[in-house]
Amino acid sequence: MAGALATVAGAAEDTESNIGSQGDPNSQVQLAPQMGYIHRIYNKAVSGEPPAYGLWVTIGAGVAWAFMATGMNPVLAIVIASALAIFVQGVYAATAYLGRTSSLAKFEQPVYIDLLKSVTSVTMAHAFVAVFTTVSMCYLLNAALGHPFPLPLLGIVWGIALGAAGSATGNPFYGKERQYQSQMFGAGVPISASGNIVRYAEAGQRSSLDNGWFTAKLGGPASGVCFGLIVFLELWRTVLFEEAVGGWGAIIVGVIIILIFMIIDRYIETWARKNYGPYVKAEEASA
Amino acid sequence: MSALGAASGGGEGINPTASIIGIVIIIAALAITAVMAAPALAAVIGVIIGGALIGFGVHFVPVGGAPAAMGQSPGIATGVAMLAAGAGLAGLFGGAWAAANPAFGIAIVIAAGAVGGGLMMAITCLMVNIVYIFGMGIPAASGKVAKDPITGDSQAEYKSQGTEGHGLPFVSYVGGVIGGLLGGAGGTLIYYELLQVYSAMLPAMFNASAEEILPIAVSLAGIFAVGMFLVNAVLAAYNITGTIEGPHDPKFKRFPRAVIGCAVASAVCGLFAVLIVVV
Repeated sequence: MAGALATVAGAAEDTESNIGSQGDPNSQVQLAPQMGYIHRIYNKAVSGEPPAYGLWVTIGAGVAWAFMATGMNPVLAIVIASALAIFVQGVYAATAYLGRTSSLAKFEQPVYIDLLKSVTSVTMAHAFVAVFTTVSMCYLLNAALGHPFPLPLLGIVWGIALGAAGSATGNPFYGKERQYQSQMFGAGVPISASGNIVRYAEAGQRSSLDNGWFTAKLGGPASGVCFGLIVFLELWRTVLFEEAVGGWGAIIVGVIIILIFMIIDRYIETWARKNYGPYVKAEEASA
Repeated sequence: MSALGAASGGGEGINPTASIIGIVIIIAALAITAVMAAPALAAVIGVIIGGALIGFGVHFVPVGGAPAAMGQSPGIATGVAMLAAGAGLAGLFGGAWAAANPAFGIAIVIAAGAVGGGLMMAITCLMVNIVYIFGMGIPAASGKVAKDPITGDSQAEYKSQGTEGHGLPFVSYVGGVIGGLLGGAGGTLIYYELLQVYSAMLPAMFNASAEEILPIAVSLAGIFAVGMFLVNAVLAAYNITGTIEGPHDPKFKRFPRAVIGCAVASAVCGLFAVLIVVV
């Protein structure tokens, strides 16, 4: 169940960060107006995803812990605490968008108030899902599985890990596949194209909400699988094998799992080299 | 973009004057500990070793930053310090869990932390390659070496024009796992050493039984371990300046400087972490 919660958390985290344009691909959102490309993409990356999620999840976990100390029902405590943490996220998102976008005023990038109204609430909703599921997961680790860390400390640990897993897995898909959708598929974006992000949709200008819709197809679920696997396998090996072989059981199983993932990685790496072949220059490819 | 354009700032070598000052600071921190809190001396040494392990481990983690998110440079598309912190804290989670079992010795606790960090990196690096290969159709290619030092695969012809490479070649994947292992082990070592000091000294301070004090000792050691982890990861990230591909990257040779820096920072942090329970 903790693994399932983590999977939902990972997916929601990545979608939230892409709608709000946090994480590394946002460097291009910030760069575009400086290269003369005015856009309507949200822009809230005043910090990386891991510390931001560390903050929100820890607020959620800390407030939930305080509520539970007063005797409140855990489910209610986690819901209310997550909602309170999301108000912090909303203030963060709104001030970050206004601050970062207004810093681009000399490049004639406008601040769109309608964008602030429509996108902020959507990122808050996704962040609520991510924070609620992560705090619930931390509660289960502490209350059901007996981890020694108190809830707020688990919030820091897993909030930062959630942001790290989500940004590592989801960022390339948002950056390369979505922002640079116009560039060739199957190749990296040439450095000379930096800043020339896709700014128009089928009708009118592209909104950040479209980016969430797009990345929810692969980047979001992949981040979810990544974080879910981390949490599930970590718990699975510890709960089942901790007592085996004089305490070394969980460690041996962990090493075996790492080796299995290493073999899978090597397999898909060679699969890609064999099936995709070496890089071919654009003019030769079109000929 | 700054990560791509940045030249290797700060040079490669070790500054002898700075290193001597650093060693003096370490010795001073150890001397203060020996005078004011003699039983905690071993713990501070453990914290210094843990910090050095974290600083060394961060150099193995392949991080491409913002350019990696556009497929412009190899590595994982996030910050050095953040990814290392994510892996190290996942390791700390596993290590703390093992430390809660009184039957387990220090070797099992450290190994549990190391494997936790390594597992986090193994899964994350695999998912990064899955997204690159199946989501974006891009095979992995390094921009820094002609051949993968482990598999011997040639890299240059798979690299897209106008980029420094993309994805995670196998050597970077292995580097990521080693980085996770070292980071998890270092973070757990710091936690374990501080936990020993706190659970030994706090009961007398608060005039309470060891069982009553354990949650406070765990929380205090945990929060100090998280804090020191971030200190060391950020220091090592400054040493790397931007992006690194893994153990085959020329920037990897800078690690001795980070190890010294992290040892000094850990000595000072460890001193304060110990002093709060004795002064």
